[in-house]
Amino acid sequence: MTLKIYADRMSQPSRAVLIFCKVNGITFEEIKLDLARRQQRSSEYKEINPLRQVPTIVDGRFKLFESHAILRYISCAFPGVADHWYPSDLFKRAKIESVLDWHHSNLRRGAVAYILNSTLAPALGLQKNPQAAAEGEKILSSSLEQIESIWLKGNGRFLLGSSKPSIADLSLVCELMQLQVVDEKDRDRILGPHKKVEQWIEDTKQATMPHFDEVHTVLFKLKAKLQEQRLSEANNKIESSKNTTLPSKM
Amino acid sequence: MGLKVYGHRMSQPARAVYIFCKMNGIEFEEISVNFFTKKTASPVFQEINPMKQVPAIVHGTFKLFESHAILRYLACAFPGVPDHWYPADLQKRAKIDSVLDWHHLNLRHGALRLVQAVALAPKLGRQPNPQVAIEAEKLLSESLEKIETFWLQGSGPFLLGNSEPSIADLSLVCEIMQLEVLDDKDIDRILGPHKKVQQWMEDTKTATKPHFEEIHGVLFEVKAELQKQRLLGANNA
Repeated sequence: MTLKIYADRMSQPSRAVLIFCKVNGITFEEIKLDLARRQQRSSEYKEINPLRQVPTIVDGRFKLFESHAILRYISCAFPGVADHWYPSDLFKRAKIESVLDWHHSNLRRGAVAYILNSTLAPALGLQKNPQAAAEGEKILSSSLEQIESIWLKGNGRFLLGSSKPSIADLSLVCELMQLQVVDEKDRDRILGPHKKVEQWIEDTKQATMPHFDEVHTVLFKLKAKLQEQRLSEANNKIESSKNTTLPSKM
Repeated sequence: MGLKVYGHRMSQPARAVYIFCKMNGIEFEEISVNFFTKKTASPVFQEINPMKQVPAIVHGTFKLFESHAILRYLACAFPGVPDHWYPADLQKRAKIDSVLDWHHLNLRHGALRLVQAVALAPKLGRQPNPQVAIEAEKLLSESLEKIETFWLQGSGPFLLGNSEPSIADLSLVCEIMQLEVLDDKDIDRILGPHKKVQQWMEDTKTATKPHFEEIHGVLFEVKAELQKQRLLGANNA
């Protein structure tokens, strides 16, 4: 009875679940769904998850979705997962719950709105929306400031001053990795002021290597493709501006 | 070890925490922090919760915020809480966690923004925003439809087909109760098509009597006040 994970590696919560299983040596079957091709709308997938979100897991006859709920469940259901991922201590666990709940309406809400409306909309058949992107960036930036000044307070390198990562570190860092697809100067503007956040992303990567990079490969490929597109668009603009200015000089 | 609950009865997640404590005989000191008058931003309250939100609890020296985290913590930390609120069984618990996680960017994101963009905007010192209201109502209606057709599937009257309420029922019903501040015709338009949702709300209210009504008293007062204002506005027009 192998654990099945329905996932798209372009989805940040899918990546968190995949990395978590790999880091903890949990055997699973990955069933890939391509959100850009709307494969989550298929009637087969509706049987697995009527709300059509990824990731979803099937463990025997038990189906579960929402990545935080999945991470909690796997931490408890599979023996051998180290306690620091989701501590059994009531107080430590409650603090991690607090970060996970905060994530939804703050970091995730801001990051998704910004990245979708500034960058990924065309790939999903939608229009870019600068107004929504600006609102998203505002929530994203204030969330980063709160991670920097509140959640990363303390001695340890991880959230809540812990010395080892929890499911909250993995979930939030995977969220932030999605910023790789936006233009570099925008990413620098947003992440640049938050040095502790940058260091924490690095520390979380290191703690989950080599799986972190492996699961993010698809994201890095898309990043390279989008950079190339931006470059060629910029070159075309220069070309076309040359073409339009030349005749006027003649 | 005393429990302090910092909240406000006009905050839907704070109400869920109050009702939960009262239902389970958990003694607590209620400390009202009025977010309408920005008391949540005071330096004193920031010591309790640097995110400046209610509810927050202090239990002995332990501080915690985010209502779902608080409800999970209270269900585990106080020995007399019946298992159905947050079952120890791993798979039952995971399903409740799934509803709670879903809540944030679906039901809550729709309902909260709608209420703030329409009825509560003046109280929050903002202009009503019809564009946000349209988007929020769309998400709210989709979320209600998902509760009706998916989360309320099964034989029991509560979410996930359960025969007794969990912290997810309480949290989601308190969220939907906030719609009371809207105009009655708007409430009917939004909730009317969802008969199972209406029945489930009734069942959750009944299961948490008399505390549910008591804690919602302030909300009903604000509802009456806003209705009066709407009537005056209509007469003047």
